[in-house]
Amino acid sequence: MKAVRIFLKIIYVAMPLTIVMAFLWAPPAALLGDASRILYFHVPIAWVSFLAFVVSGILSILHLSGVKKQNGGLDEKAYHSAAIGFTFTIMTVITGSIWARISWGTFWNWDPRETSIVIILLIYIAYFSLQGALTDNEKRGRIGSTYLILAMVTLPFFVFLVPRLYPSLHPDPIINADKKIYLDDHMKLTLIVGILSFSILYCYLFDLMNRILVIRKKIEEYRETSN
Amino acid sequence: MVRDIIRNLRKDFRVEFRSRFALNVSIAFAVITTTALSLAAGGVPFSPRVQSMLLWLIIFFSAMNGLSHIFVREEDQGTSLFLRITASADSIFASKLIYNLAFMAIVLCVVTPLFMFFMQVTVRDAVYFAGSVAGGGLSIAASTTIMAAMVAKAGGKGSLFTIISFPVLLPVLWLSILSTASSIESAGHADYGTLIFLLAFSGFITAISFLLFRYVWQD
Repeated sequence: MKAVRIFLKIIYVAMPLTIVMAFLWAPPAALLGDASRILYFHVPIAWVSFLAFVVSGILSILHLSGVKKQNGGLDEKAYHSAAIGFTFTIMTVITGSIWARISWGTFWNWDPRETSIVIILLIYIAYFSLQGALTDNEKRGRIGSTYLILAMVTLPFFVFLVPRLYPSLHPDPIINADKKIYLDDHMKLTLIVGILSFSILYCYLFDLMNRILVIRKKIEEYRETSN
Repeated sequence: MVRDIIRNLRKDFRVEFRSRFALNVSIAFAVITTTALSLAAGGVPFSPRVQSMLLWLIIFFSAMNGLSHIFVREEDQGTSLFLRITASADSIFASKLIYNLAFMAIVLCVVTPLFMFFMQVTVRDAVYFAGSVAGGGLSIAASTTIMAAMVAKAGGKGSLFTIISFPVLLPVLWLSILSTASSIESAGHADYGTLIFLLAFSGFITAISFLLFRYVWQD
């Protein structure tokens, strides 16, 4: 675990490197110019939100299947992952809207991809509302995990199916029909570094939240024993 | 298991039709909103898309008023513990699902003709229209059964059922609105792919719900 935490310190190098590569090293796109540089943040952030939701779903499956973990339940870890995913989804919407304003002239126009992301946001808002309504910890873990699994199985429909079924102004996704990335080599490398950096950032934040949870539990235990 | 399902269904129908609380609330809501809309419109006809949107909004909120009742009632009356002891989670889920499907069918049978009468809806493709309404209603009932169980465990708090069901039901509502509008607008352009999708979505959500229900139900 210590080795993983030391590895996660790479984020202090990877994130500045991504910023430098995105703004100084990668060339601007032919038509969009410097505005295209938002790609190196928008795509990795969107990827991290998807990753975080999938991780929260997998942790929920493990929680319901009875896997026990020391220092904090898997349901709480799933909650943390969903919270990170939710934050990154909001950031995806913000960066996407800025990009939409530059290339389409409006911040929002209910494009199928925009519609999908709003539905995903609503699903996770519903999850947090449900968690808030459940007072018993054990019940919260079980029912919250069930909802997260339901949310995870509907994700492919919104992320992959809807944007491909309906005509969209959104540029071809990275995982497109031809399975090729149509980018200059410098741009491609910058994007890959961006995706890796943001993935490490996700792991870093996830680890940090789980460590805070452990500390909080230890404080609670200490209070209980001292009373 | 079949015997358990039939026994639970018989009990649920008896208890519900003794008071008819959920059904009365759902139908009263549908009648009030439809007449209010018609009154506000003052005889001005809406476009097929708007008619379809309004019909599905009324169906959705009418359903939301009653579909959670089947589980919330068990928790309120303290009978859920007895039910947990006497029947398996699978048979309870199956019976509650069938009950919700029947409940939805009754709501649809009341709401749809009422809406068509008050909002002056002329349907061009009746078979496609009936298929769209039935397919959408079936999907709503199938998808919300497990949500109802979750809300009941959370104490059946206010509008929580609508909040947690709405995002999962959005694709169903979206496609139902499109197919219903298409059936009102023009004959001979039926897209049965949409109906197949609605059935597939219901089947998929029902299968996942069936697998997950025991974790929600058992304490």
